Amino acid sequence: MHYSRIAGEILMIKNLILSISITLIVTLSTGVNASSEPSDTSQFDISQYRGKVVYLDFWASWCVPCRKSFPWLNQQQQKYSAEDFVIIAVNLDKKRSLAEVFMEENPASFKIIYDPKGKLAKKYQIKGMPSSVIFDRNGKAAFAHTGFFVKKKNEYEQEIQNLIDSSKK
Amino acid sequence: MILGALLTFLSGCSSMGVEPWDRDLLAKPEMAVNSSPLDQAIDDHIYFSKEASSGGRSFAGGGCGCN
Amino acid sequence: MRMQLNQSKNSVSKSRFAEKLALAATALVGTAIHAQENDAEWDFSASAFAYSEIDRVSAAELIFTGEKDFSDTSNFSFKVVLDSLTGASANGAIAQATPQTFTRVSANGQYAIAAFETPTDNNYRDTRAQVNVSWTDALTEDTRYTVGSNLSKEIDYLSFGVSGELAKDFDRRNTTLSAGVSLGVDRFAPLGNVPLAFASMVVDNGQFASNAEFQTAFDATRTTESETINTAELLLGWTQVVNRRMLFQFNYGFANISGYLTDPYKILSLVDNSGISQDYIYENRPDSKQQHSVFGLMKYHLDESIFDVSYRYVSNDWDIQSHTIDTHWRFFSDNGSFWEPHVRFYQQSAAEFYTPFLSQAQLSLPAPGPEFASADYRIGDLTAYTIGLKYGFQLEDGDRAEVRLEYYKQTPNDANRPSGIANLENIDLYPEVDAVILQFNYFF
Repeated sequence: MHYSRIAGEILMIKNLILSISITLIVTLSTGVNASSEPSDTSQFDISQYRGKVVYLDFWASWCVPCRKSFPWLNQQQQKYSAEDFVIIAVNLDKKRSLAEVFMEENPASFKIIYDPKGKLAKKYQIKGMPSSVIFDRNGKAAFAHTGFFVKKKNEYEQEIQNLIDSSKK
Repeated sequence: MILGALLTFLSGCSSMGVEPWDRDLLAKPEMAVNSSPLDQAIDDHIYFSKEASSGGRSFAGGGCGCN
Repeated sequence: MRMQLNQSKNSVSKSRFAEKLALAATALVGTAIHAQENDAEWDFSASAFAYSEIDRVSAAELIFTGEKDFSDTSNFSFKVVLDSLTGASANGAIAQATPQTFTRVSANGQYAIAAFETPTDNNYRDTRAQVNVSWTDALTEDTRYTVGSNLSKEIDYLSFGVSGELAKDFDRRNTTLSAGVSLGVDRFAPLGNVPLAFASMVVDNGQFASNAEFQTAFDATRTTESETINTAELLLGWTQVVNRRMLFQFNYGFANISGYLTDPYKILSLVDNSGISQDYIYENRPDSKQQHSVFGLMKYHLDESIFDVSYRYVSNDWDIQSHTIDTHWRFFSDNGSFWEPHVRFYQQSAAEFYTPFLSQAQLSLPAPGPEFASADYRIGDLTAYTIGLKYGFQLEDGDRAEVRLEYYKQTPNDANRPSGIANLENIDLYPEVDAVILQFNYFF
């Protein structure tokens, strides 16, 4: 008697959990992505960098491959003259403090802009994290990469070099 | 009852998912499907020894979606 | 490929011994691993776990794991487990109003049980060692494979398994579909050899002139030295990100197990129509079992906590059906520590051949008697719940630790209490389980 009541209660709890899950899924599928941090997206305009090869990198503190990409980006910025090549890293963290903690551990010698609402990411149709878009000196997107792969470093560098060499003034 | 739930559920299917840059919370190790593999394995071992059902969970998905 | 965030670690605190063990384990997986220009480190964990049932079995376990990324997309992991089981385990016979004597499983002795006490074999001692290895890598940009193997050995049981799994991502990696297969082959060499189904347990009550005579009678109830068990399992999964805070997973599983599925150490009491035990006979189970399972999990990230709930339904052709609801709620603190309460409900229906005892009347019917019978309470009608609490915290050097305390209670349901054999009314026919679990995890 006691035990079959427990079985009945378990069935009730099971139904309750099923209903709660469905309610959650249906009603909470609205956008919960808002961030209240200030954004620099209005400051970015590719035409500002005409004449230079631009490497636009999309990153976030929670993106593990970004820890590998930052040292490499520092190297690249070092290697090529600032007249020919500029790196702009777009941070997509919802809280700026998280980006700052990341940069303490992975310092950046290149320009960082903040896009907490993902407007720039959406504009450039980013398909994964991290992502990069490499522009030629005329401001046209020449290459786009999804992900950062250590084994592809040479390939990435080759692309930068090609764009710097071609269309040199 | 389950059919009704499934239909309600599937009708919301087309709007599910997030953009790649909105995975900050999903990237946390605690949000992985198998977030406590040690505890999971120990529990599976206990319940396999004390009860008559086993298995059912495994696999990965979710996460930060990087690379 | 571990693309989840890792907790920051202090590389100075790595253990040299652990590195050597990890390298040795790497050699097992083959020579094709060439470390690329890769400064990834090993992540290790060490765990100690104790399980204790009141008046019954206790287990202690040590677990050591290691994993490392070998390239952008590949990852190797291993696990070593040592465990030890001691204490008393119910042998399947029922209590009586008088004391009872049983022969030990290996036939080198006997044990006596007091009146009204549920019979247990309290010389139960088993030590086990296990090794698991696993390798995962990307096949294409959106697909991954994982292969793994495990080997486990205890005094009477050897188990070997391999598994493989493919996973593919869709829609910006919001959807992942996966399929996995696992195959296992086990060899069971019971102490005292495999008993004949329904053979009577030979108990020396003074009727044997010598030990040799007893041994001859005992050996007449045995068949082979060892038996095999084959397992094949399929698991299909769908993981779906719903929104920034929530994901779910649905799995379907199918398992086919064949071979020697009987427990050679378990017996049934054969009672007369007054409930008095006349004989003890070895149990017998079918030589195959097919099982279906469906599993659903939801995880939701609130502001300072993560909640998850899962439901699993299992059904097999032994007529066992079970429901499991499992839920955790992890509350984060600012200093990197957390509290996580845990609740689990489990309910199962009995195997069709489960019976707390057999009556002589059942075995002497004109129609053939039961082909299978077992009094193992673990395949009976039961309900169980677990309630636990876990605490996790960061150490000064960046390593992490966790401690978990849980209580497990299993009670038989009354659905299959037999209509009275009068003398058995004051006998407890269905054992309960009351257990405490304590576990420490250390990550470094």
